[in-house]
Formats: sequence, C-alpha cells, structure tokens
Amino acid sequence: MTMTTEPRTAPVVRLDGREKVTGVGRYAADMTLTGLLHGRFRFADIGHARIKRIDTTRAKALPGVVAVITEADVPDVQYGLFIKDRRLFAKGVVRWEGEVVAAVAALTPEIAKRAVELIEIDYEPLPVITDIEAALAPGAPLIHENWESYWQDEKLVRSGNEASRSTIVKGDTAAALASADLVVKGRYVAAGSQAAPIEPRAILAEWRSDRVQIWSSTQVPFAARSLVSETLGLPENKIRVTVPHLGGGFGAKCEGHFEPQVAALARAARRPVKVVFSRRDEFLAPDHRREGMIVEVESGVMRDGTIVARRAQVLTENGAYSADEPLITILAAIFSTGPYNVPNVDITGRCAYTNTQPSGSVRAPGAPQAAWALEQHMDEIAKALDMDPVDLRRKNLLRNGDLSPTSQVMSEIRAVETLDKAAELIGWGQPLPDDEGIGIACAWWPSFPMATSAFVKINVDGSPTIITGAQECGTGAVMTLPILAGEILGIDPSEFSLVYQDTESGPWDGGAGGSQTLFNNGRAVADAAMDVRRQLLKLAADELEAAEDDIELADGRARVKGSPDRFVTIAALADKTQGTQLLVGKGSGEVPPTPASDTSACTGRLGAESFAAPTFGTHAVRVKVDRDTGVVRVLKVVAAHDSGYIVNKVGAAGQVTGGVVMGLGQALTEGTQISGEGRVRNAHLLDYKLQTMADVPDISVWFTDTAVSDAGPKGSKGVGEPPCIPTPGAVANAIAAATGARVRELPATPGRIWSALREGQA
Amino acid sequence: MSALASGSTAMGQATAAGPSYTAPTTVDDVIAAMATGSRVVAGGTDLVVGSRQGRWPVPEHLVAIHRVNSLRGIRPVVDGGLWLGATATHGEIAEDATIRERYTALADASSIVGSRATRNVGTLGGNIANASPAAETSGPLMCFGATCMLESRNGRRELPLDELFSGPGRTVAAMDELLVSVSLPAQPAGTGSCYARLEYRRQMEIAVVGATAVVTLDGGQITAARVAITSLAPTVRRVPEAEAALIGSTGDRAAAERAGEAAAAASLPIDDVRAAADYRRAMAAVITRRVVQAAVDRARGETVSIPASASLHGAL
Ligand SMILES: Cc1cc2nc3c(=O)[nH]c(=O)nc-3n(C[C@H](O)[C@H](O)[C@H](O)COP(=O)(O)OP(=O)(O)OC[C@H]3O[C@@H](n4cnc5c(N)ncnc54)[C@H](O)[C@@H]3O)c2cc1C
Repeated sequence: MTMTTEPRTAPVVRLDGREKVTGVGRYAADMTLTGLLHGRFRFADIGHARIKRIDTTRAKALPGVVAVITEADVPDVQYGLFIKDRRLFAKGVVRWEGEVVAAVAALTPEIAKRAVELIEIDYEPLPVITDIEAALAPGAPLIHENWESYWQDEKLVRSGNEASRSTIVKGDTAAALASADLVVKGRYVAAGSQAAPIEPRAILAEWRSDRVQIWSSTQVPFAARSLVSETLGLPENKIRVTVPHLGGGFGAKCEGHFEPQVAALARAARRPVKVVFSRRDEFLAPDHRREGMIVEVESGVMRDGTIVARRAQVLTENGAYSADEPLITILAAIFSTGPYNVPNVDITGRCAYTNTQPSGSVRAPGAPQAAWALEQHMDEIAKALDMDPVDLRRKNLLRNGDLSPTSQVMSEIRAVETLDKAAELIGWGQPLPDDEGIGIACAWWPSFPMATSAFVKINVDGSPTIITGAQECGTGAVMTLPILAGEILGIDPSEFSLVYQDTESGPWDGGAGGSQTLFNNGRAVADAAMDVRRQLLKLAADELEAAEDDIELADGRARVKGSPDRFVTIAALADKTQGTQLLVGKGSGEVPPTPASDTSACTGRLGAESFAAPTFGTHAVRVKVDRDTGVVRVLKVVAAHDSGYIVNKVGAAGQVTGGVVMGLGQALTEGTQISGEGRVRNAHLLDYKLQTMADVPDISVWFTDTAVSDAGPKGSKGVGEPPCIPTPGAVANAIAAATGARVRELPATPGRIWSALREGQA
Repeated sequence: MSALASGSTAMGQATAAGPSYTAPTTVDDVIAAMATGSRVVAGGTDLVVGSRQGRWPVPEHLVAIHRVNSLRGIRPVVDGGLWLGATATHGEIAEDATIRERYTALADASSIVGSRATRNVGTLGGNIANASPAAETSGPLMCFGATCMLESRNGRRELPLDELFSGPGRTVAAMDELLVSVSLPAQPAGTGSCYARLEYRRQMEIAVVGATAVVTLDGGQITAARVAITSLAPTVRRVPEAEAALIGSTGDRAAAERAGEAAAAASLPIDDVRAAADYRRAMAAVITRRVVQAAVDRARGETVSIPASASLHGAL
C-alpha cells in the first residue's frame, strides 16, 4: 500500500477498467429479469404529417404481444426544458421521422418488431421543412401551429418557427465597423452531426407495487428520474434510475430519454420490459445531435491587426422539438466571436424549428461549429491583412484584465501560452512539402459550477468507499475521484470502492455533462474525505497520544510527523471504533462563484452570462492533401490547453486525445445528410463515417497545469469537452494552407475539397 | 440480392414447419438443400449483416457451407493457373504468396475488404454471389479472365465471370445453383496488375470509385491490357476503350491518362450519400490512371506495396 508515484501522474488502473476490458462488465442491454418482455417503439417514419387514425387492433391480436400503448395510455403532459412542446407519444401530428408514436411489449424482440409493423397509422402529409433559413423565412409553414399556447421559460424570446432569439451587444459595433481600416466578411455552413456512442441505448423498467425501478443507459440519471416524475406524475422517491456501465454518450444520452415510455409500457404489460435500440434507432431517435449551423460574420480590423468590432448572425437548427438548443444557441453566439478581445460586439442567435431530429447538447454543444467558422474567418482576416495567422491571434487573444463579449473581466487565464506552445510544438513556419499545410485554431469554454454531494466511509475493516450520485460516462471522471480522496486520507486510490450512478444510493448530481463531474463532485468527495480525515485524526491523536496537528495520514496509516514508527493503521482505528462510532464523512463543498458580467444591452438570455473558470486551448494540425482526389490525411495534431491544475494526467490526456479524434471526424468525414422529405440518408456507420483507429494521427497534448482560484478541486477546470472545439477549425485552416482553397462547408469532404480546388483553378 | 443467392425466400420448403438451418459437409447435400429452397450462407457478412440492417429478411431456410471441405482452399492447377474454392476467405487470399506475386490486383482487393474480422470470415464466393457493383474482388477477377463453376441438381456449368453479373445484386445464375469455385488462367510473363479504390478514411471503407488494371509488357510496350471499373456502373465492368488506349503504348503517364478518361467516359455514376456524380466521374479518371501506372510499375518489377489503395492517396 505504498505510493511510489505522485497519484495524479501514475498510470491509474481505473476501478471499472478490468471488467470493461475483459468483457465481464454489464451494460443495460446485457441485463435480464424474470418475466422480462421485449419492447419496441413505432417511430413516425415520415417527416411531417397529421395523424388521421392509429389502429393497434392487429398488433394487439398478434400472439405473444402483451401490451401496445399510445398517447391515449399515458397522462397528457407536455414537457421540455425551455418550451414544453412535446409529449411522450405523438398526439395529432408527427413532426420528424424519429418521433415515437406507439410502443409494444412482447415475448420476443422478433414478435415486438412484427407487432410494431402491424400498427396501422393513416397520415395526411404536411409540408416538410429541413432548411434552417427556409424555416425562418416569412410565411414559412408553421411546424407548431399552436406554438403560442405552449408553456415557455419566461426569459425566452420566440415567435413561430423561431424557437429562440437572443443577442449579445457590447459597445457601438456600427460605428466601429465604419471607422475600421478593413471589414472582412464570411459565411460558413455546418452540417449537423451525431454523438454516435458505441453503445446503442437500452432501458429496462420493472414495477414493484407503486414504485418503478429503471435501468437506463443515461448520462444523467437524476434528470431521467425527474422526467419520469413529471410525465407519469409520480413522486421522485418512487422512481429509481440505475445506470449499469455506460458505453459512452458524448451528450446524446443527456436529459431524460425514453425512460418514461418504457416505464409506462412495463406498467401496461404488468411485467418488466426491456427496449434495446438498434444502431439505426440510435442514429434516428435520440433528440440530442449536434445542430446544423449557419454563421455569418463580419469583422472590422485595423492595419496592425487589431480587431475593433465584430457583427455576427448565428442560425441553429432546433429540430422538431426543443431540448436545450435555445441555450446552446446562446453559447454558439458567444463562440462566434472567439476567445478574443473585441471591444464592440453585436451578435444575434436564432434557433429554428425544422422537421428534423431535435438538436441538443453534444460534447461542447454549439462550440465546434461556431469556432470552426470563426477560426477560418480569422485566417481570412490574416490573409486580407497579409499577416501571419499566429501573430493575428496573439495580438487579439484574451489576456488578464480584458473583457469578454459579456464584459466579464478575465483573470488567471493563459490563452496566449497555449497559442505559443501549439505553434512551437507543430513547428509553425517551417518549410513544408507542396501538398502539406499547417492550420491553427483557438477556443475557450466555461466550467459549470453547481451543487452536488458525496459520502466517504471507512468500512469496519478499514477499506474505503466513495458513495456518490455522479455518473461515469467513460471519461474516467468518477474513476478519478479516489485520487482526490486518497490523497486526503493517505490511502492508495486503488484501494477504494465506488458506489455511483444510482439515484437511490447517492445524493443528487448534475450527471455526466458540461465537463462538470470532477469539477463539482470532486469538490464534494474531497470535502467528504476531509470530514473522515478529521474523525481519523481525532481517533489517532488519542491512540498515539499526540496532538492532531502532529499527525499525518499516509500509506494507510496515521502517524506522528517526523517519527514514522509511531503509527496506527486506519484498519486498526476502524476496528477500534466498531460499535461506538461509524467513520462516515459527507461533503458538498462550496460552489465556486460565477464571475460578474454586464449583459444589460443583451436580450433573450437564458444563462451563460459569464464563464466560470474558463478553459482555453489552441490546436495546431498538419495535413497532407491529395489534390487530385481531395482526400485529406492528418499527419500531426498538437493540443495545448489551459485547464488549470490537472488532477489525473493520464485521464486528462486521454480526454484530449479522444476529443481531437472526434473533432477530426467532424472536420472531415462526419455529417448527417437529410433528404428534402426529412429522412436521414446515412443512419448507419458505413455512411456516417467516424474516424477509425487507423486514421488517428500523432497527437501531442500539453497542459499549462497550473492551479487557478474559484475553480474545481485543487484549482482544476473542466477537461472533457474543450478538446472537441478547435480541431475542425484548425483542420480547415490547414487544408487552406496546403491547397489555397477554402471549404466553407462542414465537413470538408473530399468532394467539397475537390470542388473548391476546381473553383480556385477557374 | 443475387439470383444466385436468393434461392429460398418465398418458394421452396413452404410446407416445412418453421425456419431451418443445416450445415452439411458435402456439395451434394448443399445443392439438395438449395433445390428445396434453402439459401446459402457462407461467412454471412453480407447476408446476416444485411438482414440486421433491414435490407432483406433473414431467409427462412439456410444452408451453411463452411463445413464443406471441397469448397475450401487455393490451389495451383496444371496449366499454371489457380483454383480458388468458393469459401476461400479474403484473409487467405490476401496472404497467399502466389496471388500476391502473380494476381496482385486480387490481393490488393481482398486485403482491403472491411476489417480483419470481416476478412477472416467473408468469402470470395459470397463477394461474387452478392453481386454488388462495389464488390472488391470482381474487377480483378474479370481482368484476370476468371471463370466460375456453378453446380445444381441439373449438373455443372462453367461461366466467364464477366458474363455472370446482370445488374446490381443480380446474376444470371439460377436460384438453386451453388458457386463452387473460381479459376484463374495463367498470366503471361511481364504481367503486372493493380486494384485500388478511393478511400475517405484508412479503414472500413466501401468502394465509392474503384478500378483495376492488368497489363502485360513486352519489350517495353503494352501488349495486353485489361481495365475494369468498380462502383461506377450497375455492375463491375470492363472498359474496352481504356484497354485500347493502353495497347501499343509504353504505359507512360499520357497513356494512363487516356485510359482514365476512357474509364470516366464509360462510367454511369450516381449521386448519393457517398459522392456526387460529377466527382465520381472525375475520380474514375484519377483512380484508373493511378492503377494503370501502378500495374505498369509492377510489370516492370518495381514494388508497389499491397494493398495499393493505402499508398495511392499521396503516398500515405
Ligand atoms: C463490416 C463490413 C465491411 C465490409 N467491407 C467490404 C469491402 O470493403 N469490400 C467488399 O467487397 N465487401 C465488403 N463487405 C461485404 C462482405 O464482407 C463481402 O462481400 C464478403 O466477401 C461476403 O462473403 P460472405 O462469405 O460473408 O457472404 P455471405 O453473407 O455468406 O453471402 C452473401 C450472399 O452470397 C450468397 N452466397 C454465398 N456463398 C455462395 C455460394 N458459394 N454460392 C452461391 N451463393 C452464395 C449468399 O446466399 C448471400 O446471398 C463488408 C461487410 C461488412 C460486414
């Protein structure tokens, strides 16, 4: 039990690692229960239509079918984060092809599938709108006829197909643009994309009297519980959501999804039910995919490279129903000016209903596309000024004392350091072969402070356990908690056991989203460990006849500082207290404050006024482009991040590496293709092209690794999402550097690069 | 689905109760099962995966052929040619020394099918019988002058491979005919060959555009040339105009470009999620030009690594 290496740099063997790698770990789809039925959803299968008739008679009559339910079988509740515009099952109208219309429970998955096909639905087709600008055009057919009657967040500004409209206004942009030496404009169009977790989701529900136990592949068990509570009208303490191992989420499994429908199905069937999504279902049905986006931006610049003003319009795709996209649109609007010191800013964000899969948070929601647009725009400004792109960025990057677009004063940030490091490590300025190019892009991202809590206990034999409501989505954030507790208790992190991702055993937690798990729950666990530490020190002080201040905890022992022979093991202390005292600590820690901002000139704000503990990062990418075919191979990526203090170096580097690869996919090969009828044309992994291991380039990760105040544990900031953000922009700039051709559409497919090259020649 | 492959769906053992699966060890038993409507499954990487994707139902009656010894293996034959059993896997083909040396384009093709797992179970027979216009091995087989042996209860017949395909997913084989083997004739001395496809990423691709070239050099001149295009027409097909453009030339870049242009002209590209038609047509010229040049290099004894696709996109 000796610690030979600093725990945060040791190659930590994750507590869930062995079972995941050896295949004994259990995911939701692996679970089985006595009397289990198999459920399946009937999806709308049409882009937009009025439902004239639903007839489940033939489906119900099929032998082996136990229950078939529709909207008529659940409470008529409308729900939604900012606009309550949807129901568990479609009623009257379907607005996208993946909308759930009915659900079937049967003895086998095959019977369930056949029964779903036997449900008769008569549709009267309605006009389908898939294009953001067409949806916002005057006179466009309404996607929600009764939009005015829906409950909405009182701060939300909306009208018709415009699900939200917000502005960020600082200074006098019109005047600054008029007096600038040069105004550079650009328009950039990004396709929507998919989180594509490796595990298609699975949900089981089992009623026990008037309580329901749900197992779900969700990133947010507490939010899932709340949705069941809201839609089925049950108190939260009658609903338990437990997550077996989660096979990734990347945002697609945020918010409640499908848990209420499966619970309702199990109630109707009076037996437990399991629904397992196919890969196709996982592509089509979840209402969390990365939104399509159109960014129009113009910047006023001076000859010396100073940016004096920026005006932008960011249009986002809400999809058929509204999840968290109105808030994401506000984030996208901020990211369309980038991490730069721009004194005059005028940005409008508009979020449009379309007859497509609803958008919602996917790893760094709203940011990669906006940063991709803005960072290309930055290179276009550099070109117009005949200035080096790194110099232009260095001149304008946010520094301590500068103001953000919402007038937050920057402090303890190291954005410029990440730029310089990335430029240095990629070899910026070196001569390259003709077909190669280097591109660079900068980004920033907030941390999300919020309340959470945890327990740490020492069992009667001295072994330690962490009990938390936090959710592990594969990032290793929960697996890193023992490093923090271990340091405080002098116990090797590998000695801990963890109870997590279960709404009944742990206190409320925000879940695996917003890079917030270690940031917040780490604070709570450290606080709970401090509570136990105090108890141990007191006991040891008695035992060793020394002052508490003179005792340290290390190597599983309490010992007198300076005389390592005077010690008592934690196991002995636990043994000794049996029957008189339990060694249990609880903690929450104080939520770090959110910096002040000034949004008095802004409208339609729903949050994200300022960025707590903001992270900064610069990525530099070296590519090789086959000019005849437009095929791009990425040779090297440097990712330099200011993420504060790094709690788990191996884990953090893994997050950055994965984020880079996800970004490469978004940059080059990933993009949802939707037909005019609102049908996704590539809802499978052959034509939705993720990067493969063979495509992964040489990736160097660098961290400032310095503690900052008002942040997470030990001065850390969020790590999981930021590495997704600057990659697509850096790749686009590298392609332009290699070829002279700029692709203003995302992804930069070989066909698009080939077309851009041909236009360049013409 | 091919006619070869679609034996059992509707007809056949309509009277038998429920689905059935057999895995006999002799060709006779296989063709007997096919005669009563069973559908062949070899590696299942098209049949089963396609069913799971909802492209076609799982056939009610299946006859598996992996246990039939006489359908396995790769063997040289007396006249210098090669015999390949229908269940030879892509993995076996890609590793076979004779194929790598003398039928290099086929090794290029088999070594890029799917992933290692796909190659270890996916068979040559399945690749042919599935009759996809994107099938990797069809172009090389056609250009090497392959013939295939079909067998049913009515006997055996041998068919040149370029007469087998009748449309996307369709062949001229009857429902109850089993593809037993493929034969490749000996190639003249001085022959080099290459197959490559356009690849957006480095693994798990599907041919959006593919091309094969087989050329024979004699005294520095091309005396025989075969060129085929993949994913550019309803079936994989030869391009006689491209072949004509090469014969008599030294196989220089200008000749390769003329062959590429002929291949582009012969293409009937479609617009779909994978590529726009105009891009596909342009790539037909590029990829054809590159495989011709690589085939000529190989005919001259120069090394172009296998699979050629990996090295053709800017030598990466
Ligand atoms: C992940 C993945 C990647 C792939 N990548 C590629 C690729 O890059 N290139 C490519 O060309 N293909 C690819 N494929 C398709 C497939 O792997 C190949 O076509 C393979 O060769 C099919 O062989 P099989 O033995 O699995 O055929 P099966 O699926 O068993 O059969 C395919 C069809 O042929 C029929 N059939 C099989 N054998 C015979 C026979 N002897 N006589 C008559 N009919 C027969 C079957 O009834 C069926 O209709 C991929 C498939 C997957 C799942």
